Amino acid sequence: MAGKFCVSITHAKDNTDKATVGFVVANAAAGSGKESLVFLSVEGVRLAQKGYAQDIHEEGFAPLRELMENFAKAGGTIYVCSPCFKKRKLDENNLVAGASIVGGAKLVEFLSDGSPCVSY
Amino acid sequence: MADVAAQWDAGELGCGELVLELRYRLSALRPGEILQLIALDAGAPADIPAWCRMTGHTLVTTQHPVYLIQRKED
Repeated sequence: MAGKFCVSITHAKDNTDKATVGFVVANAAAGSGKESLVFLSVEGVRLAQKGYAQDIHEEGFAPLRELMENFAKAGGTIYVCSPCFKKRKLDENNLVAGASIVGGAKLVEFLSDGSPCVSY
Repeated sequence: MADVAAQWDAGELGCGELVLELRYRLSALRPGEILQLIALDAGAPADIPAWCRMTGHTLVTTQHPVYLIQRKED
């Protein structure tokens, strides 16, 4: 079954449970053959920095770094909210695999043909 | 180089603010006319092509931060 699936993640170390579960669900989408997108916004944009997720490991789940690497290896795409990223003065030359900085138009385009989106 | 009917330096503006203003700026042109946009936002290289695909305007050239956009026919 083809199709698209979007997971919106708005948390990082302020809620590692949500950040982790977001990527778990994203991997479920990628593993189900969906064209899978993680949209990082608000605090979630910090996850796009290499090394940031290194020490996030929720009990009962794989380490977040591993979940993110697996998502990228499965062909998943990560959109990083440009104004959220800029506001936090993060480094656009230090992004994790699969991540790119975008504005709202890219997200709107992805969702415009009826893609479901779940938010964490 | 294509004739440019209007120019807009959007500076650091990005995301929804950029494309909403862009919509107004292009609607002020006649069909076929070209707007030269300067957009410094890091999201612009991904956003401007996506916005043009969705709205039907033609992205004539892209050389970030400079974009030439041709207004679509009515």
